[in-house]
Amino acid sequence: MNAATRHSPATRATTASALPLALVPASLFGLLVFSLISVPLPWSVAWPWIPTLDVPFALYVDGLSAQFLLLITGIGTLVAVYGAGYLAGDARRWRVFGLLLLFMLAMIGAVSSDHLLVLFVFWELTSVLSFLLVGFDHANESSRKSAQQALLITGTGGLFLLAGIILLGEIGGSYSLRQLIAAAPALSDDARLPAALALLFVGAFSKSAQFPFHFWLPNAMAAPTPVSAYLHSATLVKLGIYLLARLDAAFSELLFWEYSLVGIGTLTAVLAAVQTVRERDLKRILAWSTVATLGTLTMLVGLPGHGAALAVAALFFAHALYKAPLFFVAGNLDHGAGTRDIDRLTGMRRHLPWTAAAALLAALSMAGLPLTFGFVAKDAMTLAKVEAGVFALVSHATLFVGSISVAVAAVAAVHIFWGRDAADRTTHPHEAPLPMLLPPLLLVALAVLFGLRPTLVDPLLGAAAQAMAPTFEPLQVDSSYDFWPVAEASLATFGFGLLIYLGWDRLHVLLDQAKDLDQLGPESWYWRKLKFVPHLAAALTRRLQHGLLPGYLLTLAGAVTLALLAALLVARPRLDLPSVAPLPLPVVGCALLIAAGALAALLVRDHLVLLLVSGLVGYGSALLFLFTGAADLAFTQFAVETVFVVVAATVLRRLRQLPAPLQVAVSEARWRPLALLVALAFGLGLTGVLLLTAGLPFDSQLSDFFAAQSVPAAHGRNVVNVIIVDFRALDTLGEIAVVALALVAALPLLKLARGRSS
Amino acid sequence: MSPRALLAEVLLRVLYPALLLASLWILLRGHNAPGGGFVGGLLAVAASAAMALTFSAAEASRRLPLPPTRLTAFGVLIALLSGLPGVFVGQPFLTHLWFTVPLVVSELPLSTVMLFDLGVYLAVWGAVGGYSLSLLSAVEEQQ
Repeated sequence: MNAATRHSPATRATTASALPLALVPASLFGLLVFSLISVPLPWSVAWPWIPTLDVPFALYVDGLSAQFLLLITGIGTLVAVYGAGYLAGDARRWRVFGLLLLFMLAMIGAVSSDHLLVLFVFWELTSVLSFLLVGFDHANESSRKSAQQALLITGTGGLFLLAGIILLGEIGGSYSLRQLIAAAPALSDDARLPAALALLFVGAFSKSAQFPFHFWLPNAMAAPTPVSAYLHSATLVKLGIYLLARLDAAFSELLFWEYSLVGIGTLTAVLAAVQTVRERDLKRILAWSTVATLGTLTMLVGLPGHGAALAVAALFFAHALYKAPLFFVAGNLDHGAGTRDIDRLTGMRRHLPWTAAAALLAALSMAGLPLTFGFVAKDAMTLAKVEAGVFALVSHATLFVGSISVAVAAVAAVHIFWGRDAADRTTHPHEAPLPMLLPPLLLVALAVLFGLRPTLVDPLLGAAAQAMAPTFEPLQVDSSYDFWPVAEASLATFGFGLLIYLGWDRLHVLLDQAKDLDQLGPESWYWRKLKFVPHLAAALTRRLQHGLLPGYLLTLAGAVTLALLAALLVARPRLDLPSVAPLPLPVVGCALLIAAGALAALLVRDHLVLLLVSGLVGYGSALLFLFTGAADLAFTQFAVETVFVVVAATVLRRLRQLPAPLQVAVSEARWRPLALLVALAFGLGLTGVLLLTAGLPFDSQLSDFFAAQSVPAAHGRNVVNVIIVDFRALDTLGEIAVVALALVAALPLLKLARGRSS
Repeated sequence: MSPRALLAEVLLRVLYPALLLASLWILLRGHNAPGGGFVGGLLAVAASAAMALTFSAAEASRRLPLPPTRLTAFGVLIALLSGLPGVFVGQPFLTHLWFTVPLVVSELPLSTVMLFDLGVYLAVWGAVGGYSLSLLSAVEEQQ
């Protein structure tokens, strides 16, 4: 896509055609701001959803939710504007916009849910939609693989989350977040709580790219830039942290909670910071630094104290305000200069001046320099660590991660835009169109505004912090303001960051030598396991689908027998023989008929005769039904048996007339001993189960109901038929659908047999 | 080619429609006496099988009201549709409705349940019959 097609009048027209879509998130944003001003938090509303399971569609919006909602709708608006420019002229842009809007709604639902199962539904929706968005360019293989990876990891994490939610709900006796938080002090002694929390951690960590699931996020950079700016900086990846922050009010007192979150968060941040230096693609650099920030956020959520709650809120906000613009900048470079490789991007200031301005301001905020909102966030973080009294190791780790942030900021702003302009440039970089400039400029302007006047966002951050730490009081932090730790930390981070920036290339080469270590990492484990699945499927298919009919039948009968015997084993203690009343003569006669048929089948060799004597078993059963009062059953059994014997006998008779080579030679002798064994075990198991069933008291509630209601409710005297066509009509509908499907499945096989013979 | 069974051929010209009539009667009486769609359908299959054994599977297929797969699909569709009138009057899906048609001497009760059972009948006839006939025609061709 070159400059000429980009800026032709036609493309400008398509930009304009997509722009009105931004009105959807914009009006939601406006509505939200208006409501926040006029209606005091918290808001709560609930509709009945699945009353039989006691799952209401319960929404609850407090300070934390409100902060997320503002980011989701606000950045959503800017992403829609940006996307209108970025995807102008791309025929597939409507799909992206449609998916982005759906994704926004799913995010809104997830952060407003009070009921954990409602939250789970929205959580899964975001996973599925992000799969579709990352795999947007589905003709590209790496794009498909990244989408698959994101879905497999977040989807598997979602299953863990569901298990954790159910366990937590069972322990706490409620699925409402508010009620769980209120009940939390009483739960801390429950032995199942650590298991429930561990399951929740897996869910949240996979969503928010924490170790060991961190690798999916940089790979998801295959997505178009507007998608990355939205999903992978401001919304989707924060969802896991959101859940943890939400539950922080309930469990922050637990040591298990604190150590897990601080440990995993710090580990993730350090690992991601190291990975950042190994990349040359600006977008992947930004992605790794996002993972590092997510790790820092997880660590902060784990820290006890009010300062940590405020720091989480501030960092959420600051990160969205600088990372989204930086992703936009990466998109503008890609669009204007045709590359995101930092080796080929220098001195872009002259070609993309407005993008350069946005990049510089965003970088200042990212580096946490004074007069930006990033400084406020860094300030809050330092105070939080002082208040919580963290281990020295964690303190050093955050210093390291902060320095890398400074270095990344310097790469994104100074290296790319202020470096020496390459003389031998073959392409002609150009500035992005207005819709791609306004969003990043607006966000960095806000970052500066809030940096100069933090009091503007104080109420918002205070309300969010209060949701995480209920005893939080907004004034507390100001009163304990301590200048020196903050100044010290800032200076140290900045100094180290500059050193890393200057040595970036040398560090890059150094770290690249250690790439053999990747073999041990979770990502290579993921790829190995992914390759293992088709191998396993192939091996199973080879073992089970051998094409030998006796083998199939034995496998089937054997499996059923095992199930029967297992059931007997479980029920053994309660197994007692029912008292046997003397049987009426006709029943004895039928039983003898069945037994005669079965015995004959055992001794007869000729297939046709075998079929006929096994028909004796069927007719005997039909007679038995007749004498025990099940006329309908007997009737059906007679019909089935007759049709089966007639058709099968015909087929057998004609098969026998075939020339020998066409007959399938199966040495039956080989299967006989095993078949006898399975048959004996099956008979034994079934007899046991029947005896067991007969020994149980008979609950006649249902049959009484059907007998009593058959005529008055369904106008029929034949109870069996009334059950089939009326009381249980849905079952019957399913059954005839299965019968129809069986025909559809069998016809091609029969056609194949016909084709082979001719 | 097997020798023609002349007696069976003559007999079946009468027997085939008689068997089908009987199967319909069993279908209709099912609500109050032993019978119904399943058994009725199986009896119709038996009629088709007899036809196939005496003449040929192709001849039996020709005598079906529709080709087997379509017959089956039609049956399932009728059963499915018979559940809809209940929905339109505000009842759950597959709640059957009853109404009476006044005749000169008495009145005839009718119901969507009969449609449902007819669907079962056709589905069984189409599927089991289609399967049997297809199997029989496969072995016929091998001669």
